[in-house]
Amino acid sequence: MNRRPNHLAGAGSLVWLLLVGLPLYVMITATLRTRSDYARRGPLALPERITLDNYTGAFSTGFGRYFLNTLTVTVCVVGLVLLLVPPLAYAIVRSRSRFASSAFRLFLLGLAVPAQAVIVPMFYLISEAGLYDNLLGVVLPTAAFCLPVSALVLSGAMRDIGPELYEAMAMDGASPRRMFFQLVLPLSRGGLSTIVVFSALQAWNGFLFPLVLTQSDSTKLITLGLYDFRTEHGIDIPGLLAAVVLSMVPVLLVYLFARRALVQGLMGVGGK
Amino acid sequence: MSSHMKTRIRKQTRSRTATGAGGDERGRVRTARRSAGGGRAPDRGRGASRRARERYGSRVGRPGFVWAVPATVFFGLFAITPLIMVAALSFTSWSGLGPPRFVGVDNWTRVFADPVMIESVWLSLLVTFLGVAVQTPLSVLLGVWAAGQQRNRAVLSAIYFVPLLLSTTAVSVLWRAVLDPNFGVPSRAAWLFGDGNLFGTQAGAIGVLAFVSTWQFTPFHTLIHQGAARAVPRVLYEAAEIDGAGRVRQFFHITLPQLRNSVITSTILMVVGGLTTFETVLILTQGGPGTDTTITAYYMYQKAFKGFDFGAGAAVALVLVVAATLVSLIVVRVSGYDRMRSDMEGVS
Amino acid sequence: MKGHVKGLGNPGAHLRRTLVSGLALALALGLAACGGGGASSSGAAEFHVLVYGDATNKVEQRLVDEFNRTSEVKAVLDTIPGADYQQKLQTIINTPQAPDVFFNWGGGSIRPYVDAGLLLPLDGFTKSDPALASAFLPSVYETAVVDGKPYGIPMRGTQPVLLFHNKKVLADAGVEPPRTWSGLLDAVKALKEKGVTPIALGGGDKWPTLMWFEYLYDRVAGPGLFAKALEGDRSAWESADSRKALGMLKQLVDAGAFGDNADSVKFTDGGSPALLASGRAGFELMGSWAYATQQEADAEFAGKDLGYTAFPAVEGGKGDPANLVGNTNNFYSVLKKTRHPEAVAEFLKLMYSDRFVKEQLSVGNLPTTTNTEKFLGTAANPAYSRHQYELVEKAPSFQLSWDQAYPPAAMTPIHQAVQEFFAGRTDADGFIKAMQALPTA
Repeated sequence: MNRRPNHLAGAGSLVWLLLVGLPLYVMITATLRTRSDYARRGPLALPERITLDNYTGAFSTGFGRYFLNTLTVTVCVVGLVLLLVPPLAYAIVRSRSRFASSAFRLFLLGLAVPAQAVIVPMFYLISEAGLYDNLLGVVLPTAAFCLPVSALVLSGAMRDIGPELYEAMAMDGASPRRMFFQLVLPLSRGGLSTIVVFSALQAWNGFLFPLVLTQSDSTKLITLGLYDFRTEHGIDIPGLLAAVVLSMVPVLLVYLFARRALVQGLMGVGGK
Repeated sequence: MSSHMKTRIRKQTRSRTATGAGGDERGRVRTARRSAGGGRAPDRGRGASRRARERYGSRVGRPGFVWAVPATVFFGLFAITPLIMVAALSFTSWSGLGPPRFVGVDNWTRVFADPVMIESVWLSLLVTFLGVAVQTPLSVLLGVWAAGQQRNRAVLSAIYFVPLLLSTTAVSVLWRAVLDPNFGVPSRAAWLFGDGNLFGTQAGAIGVLAFVSTWQFTPFHTLIHQGAARAVPRVLYEAAEIDGAGRVRQFFHITLPQLRNSVITSTILMVVGGLTTFETVLILTQGGPGTDTTITAYYMYQKAFKGFDFGAGAAVALVLVVAATLVSLIVVRVSGYDRMRSDMEGVS
Repeated sequence: MKGHVKGLGNPGAHLRRTLVSGLALALALGLAACGGGGASSSGAAEFHVLVYGDATNKVEQRLVDEFNRTSEVKAVLDTIPGADYQQKLQTIINTPQAPDVFFNWGGGSIRPYVDAGLLLPLDGFTKSDPALASAFLPSVYETAVVDGKPYGIPMRGTQPVLLFHNKKVLADAGVEPPRTWSGLLDAVKALKEKGVTPIALGGGDKWPTLMWFEYLYDRVAGPGLFAKALEGDRSAWESADSRKALGMLKQLVDAGAFGDNADSVKFTDGGSPALLASGRAGFELMGSWAYATQQEADAEFAGKDLGYTAFPAVEGGKGDPANLVGNTNNFYSVLKKTRHPEAVAEFLKLMYSDRFVKEQLSVGNLPTTTNTEKFLGTAANPAYSRHQYELVEKAPSFQLSWDQAYPPAAMTPIHQAVQEFFAGRTDADGFIKAMQALPTA
């Protein structure tokens, strides 16, 4: 590629840096300021003196519990997706049954169904099942709506496995089940990590299902905690932004310690 | 490459007869005659395809349909059933209190006579279109730029990534606070923002929505293009340089065509994401000023969960499904995404 | 890729076992945890009390705690943030997860639930404890009587809407708190010249906008017009009085009284109170709870500079200037399906206890029990409580907020109509048409 420095691109990227950085700057500095400091000197000023009250305040509204709830939901959703999708993708790629190909078409169709479209009957179903205001009631639909993309991504990954490998295993007398565990799963690790990242983010960031399907503090997820905090204390901007920062800490940790996996996983959602 | 890959895909969907009940063959593999290319041999026509299959496929054990059952049942229960129920509910009047009452096409005639509803569809399309129009060039440029190996680019890319760590809710809350007309940045920068109320006009509010989703999602699409740009074969650039092509020409004649697939993929993701925008509207504008940013997804929520008119809400929801399906289909057809995806899936 | 295949010989079985058992374990644990996370612990002897989430919740929590000290059946207080309260309530009220006791505004806000047969008439309770009726001011108690039967027990304070102001801002602009409509228009002009938003309005919530309609219709036409409209007489909205009130509102809006970003401001998130407290606005028309809100957000301002008056009189209007609008009180209603009616009855008796009255007064709320008057001196701000008490006592009419008088399905259209009228998107004819289209009880 061209080795000369590209000044135009450099300047453009700096403009974008400013756009990305400015709200982040406001966010970080505001959370370290007192409310009156923020109100008096505006959002752009540096803290007069640094305070952590906003964080302790936000945390005391129950964010610890919301974290735990969100973590539970995320683990359950990822677990369900990992349990359901690999066999499905395996069948889509390898099975010759009419059912498997119709199932694939069903999931392709499902790609276009937005969660908002089914929220009304979902509410009805979940509450009839006695799962309203129960984390399980959030897990089930969230996992279901992760399936189409996950199936597409994973079956794409599984198609990459060359037929000669199956044949080689078949020579050893391997059953389809053994092929699945010894050949297909190990070779689709990239796809698997993508669906883990994808479904974990879906669960972690989910909003509509928890909004409609839960209500009490004991089942509140982080996103809803943020929304309610904003509904009640929208004007306490330092406190509100502290809650925003708290909400991103876990993902930030993942980013710092498993950056490659996260980035690769996200790239995988987009195809390769 | 692409032609036989396509046949492979077609084979998988068409061949339903061979192993339908071929459990007896499973595991009973005799010889594996692995001729070069095996089943990949270019097979033309159905007869050839069947022959090719016999040569390798049928002797290898294949999973039965049972493997697909759990996921399909689960999906059927929690996605397809509610979808069917939405269709049924759209013909009823239901306030959530008593049982739903059948009212025929009443909801539908009301929905199609409702100017807010009609406008909401256009608004959804507009917001989606704006998202694609702004984010695509931006993320392509940034992605190509970030694909370079320089150290400063890596550092900057790491910062650009930060919006991706925030949920849509968090992003909306953050920007609502930053842009608050009375307590946010605009109130302190009158030279730039005038009266400081970006949410006061339709153009302003839509602009904010488009900007915030650009801010949030550009890093993701950048990532997609970055991956694709890195995969462009070096030799192409080297050859172009020998021909004396400048940077701009290289970009338009080599990079862009090579990014075609990633552009299409990211466009589809933007379209689906744009049509289902919800939290952003709920938190940033609440559909206002007036109903100026009431997009379909938000209008559905308003009808059903604020106005307790679940029947009309269901009708609006179905409009959303139809719109999403149509737009996706159009994008898929126009871009050749379906063909591309199968090509891509064949690449090993 | 192919490189990976080599090592596939035997570790497969092992990998499989680990994978399957690991996944199964994780899922079992996870789902158990998910299932356990629910709030619906149906087995325990308890009943759920659902209230509107705001500054008064601490009082409700203290009363619940007091009740639980002696009661075997425990009360559990659940709150939903105010802005989302009504929609959540209607969504869950007919589900197994409905509360046993819930907060409401009486009037139209509970009528559909009564009609659907969901609510327990409280005449059984009042028979065994007559004080559950007689301990409350009759005019307030009436609000929650539907079809001749009581369905609600007053559980907070009465909430007349008052015109609050920032004393310092008014003094700086040389403005007196207005007693008449023209006085208000003059004040608006003076404040505007000072560069202050004359009136803070939480237009984003929409119901604060509605308060202006409620008072002007009352002052111009008297309480009869709305009563007629509520009974289903749609012509009331077209009357000359109705048009006159709308014209006056339009005049106020056009004078720039509410600034130019009222639609982006909310009361519920603390926006409009902050504008008033920080001196960026001069007035705010708000329910009497605004005092508690200001006290919690900025006690110094509440004590020193927060002024309040009744809504100004309209010259030549038919309504008595002593009339009030607002919420007569909030009520606890009981669902038929509750499994602990006796415990609930005991809980409701707390609502006329001395403890209740003192607790409510301490946060600036004004209870409507007959014993309230003797505790007025213990209020957070005795002068404020006494002022309110006298207003309510002397008011010839106390109109329930329109959005609570109509059934809940009418709320969104009402809010939309007032918002669009203030924003200049509809004219008087459009507003009248919207109000005529409302479903009536």
